[in-house]
Amino acid sequence: MQDNYYKILELYKEQYEKPVMDDKAVFEMKQRIEQGKEEKRSMSKKKTFKGWAIAASVVLAIVILPNISKTLAYTMGDIPILGEFFKVITFRNYKYEDERNVADVVVPEVTTGENADKTIAETGKKTADEINGEIRDIANKWIEEFKSNMEEEGYHNIKIDYEIITSTEDYFTLKLICFKAAGSGYEEHHFYTIDLKTGKKVELADLFKKDSDYKKIISENIKKQMREQMAADGSITYWLDDEEYPEWNFKEITDDTSFYINKDGDIVICFNEGYVAPAYMGTIEFIIPKDILVDIMD
Amino acid sequence: MFPRGKKRDTKEEIIEQTILKKYNSYYRMAMSFVHNEADAADIVQEGAYKAIKNSDSLKYVEYVETWIYRIMMNEIYRRLDTKDIESINDESYAELEVEDTYENLDLKRALDSLSVKDKTVIQLKYFEGLKLDEIAYILEENLSTVKSRLYRGLKKLRCKMDGYRMKGDERNAR
Repeated sequence: MQDNYYKILELYKEQYEKPVMDDKAVFEMKQRIEQGKEEKRSMSKKKTFKGWAIAASVVLAIVILPNISKTLAYTMGDIPILGEFFKVITFRNYKYEDERNVADVVVPEVTTGENADKTIAETGKKTADEINGEIRDIANKWIEEFKSNMEEEGYHNIKIDYEIITSTEDYFTLKLICFKAAGSGYEEHHFYTIDLKTGKKVELADLFKKDSDYKKIISENIKKQMREQMAADGSITYWLDDEEYPEWNFKEITDDTSFYINKDGDIVICFNEGYVAPAYMGTIEFIIPKDILVDIMD
Repeated sequence: MFPRGKKRDTKEEIIEQTILKKYNSYYRMAMSFVHNEADAADIVQEGAYKAIKNSDSLKYVEYVETWIYRIMMNEIYRRLDTKDIESINDESYAELEVEDTYENLDLKRALDSLSVKDKTVIQLKYFEGLKLDEIAYILEENLSTVKSRLYRGLKKLRCKMDGYRMKGDERNAR
């Protein structure tokens, strides 16, 4: 008797399999697939992380955090004295922790001391205020976002910390490191460089002679480095020379492109996640060799 | 020469290929629940869009087929919850012009009388040929839960069909 039902199931299978999607519906499905692809790309590019909070976030946090705490240990060790004028102190701490949410935010503040030269002192003070304002805005934005995300399901983790990456006779650079994990991890960096001789905040253009084509020279060098890296290692991907999505290709650095000057005095160009490569590539830096810039340096 | 272009997004590509290969099986699964071509097509389109958009969250490409089924099933359930799909009851079957054999109509009716998930298990197993552990993954349930759904479902089917059979015999006898 039992066999009979399986036979009926078999018979009904034919009936079950009859419906097929018509051409119009299939065409619409293909359009939706393309829409999904596009939105996925712009998602990783714009770095909106209203993401899918999945269990992987826990693992990610564990993997990434040790790297950060290394810089934390370094920065906490001493308060660097910068040209005996600029100092960086911790302006504010914001800490929060429950079963699912962790926030550990350290907001740095640049302070100024005495300087024999009044103009430099005044300019330095103004520069510090400007940088501090920007940093506070960023930190507040991240904390607000964290607070509103806390109500959602899943794990949320943010961490903001800073690092002094350059402190030469000429320049000092403060790097603000912002990290968050909610499903996937995301990190962004902000750089603030001060010219110690003038007390002014340094923009990339300030380093070069007027009317020099530094953007093009640097950009071409970055492209060359990208190609070399991709050729050497198949797991490296940059958005470059892509015919399918040409609008995504790296073209040229802009006035807003981040940079700093490293200990050797090299200019380092920095891109946040998703700007010149898929987000999984993380934040990206290119050291621009001095010899190609020497003619146009101011 | 440097290599042309960037490395392809393989997960996305595999998902797309799988959808293009299997869309009719998602479609008929949807049809068996919503009984309506426009809604079924909408479910498959929405599921395809979500699968592609979230392709990064597919962890193991070996499970791509069950992973997409899971998305499609969730899409079907969501639709059943939000939109009051007119459930086909015994009366409306009588109005349906059916060329099926009595057995087919009976089975269709019997399947619709099962709970949504019991029905899913039986259809995935007998019509789509999936394994029970794959079905467990799709439904996000234990293997033992899925097994009991299968046995309960089959038992109920048998019961129902015996009932229909008897009524049918009475009808035929008249």
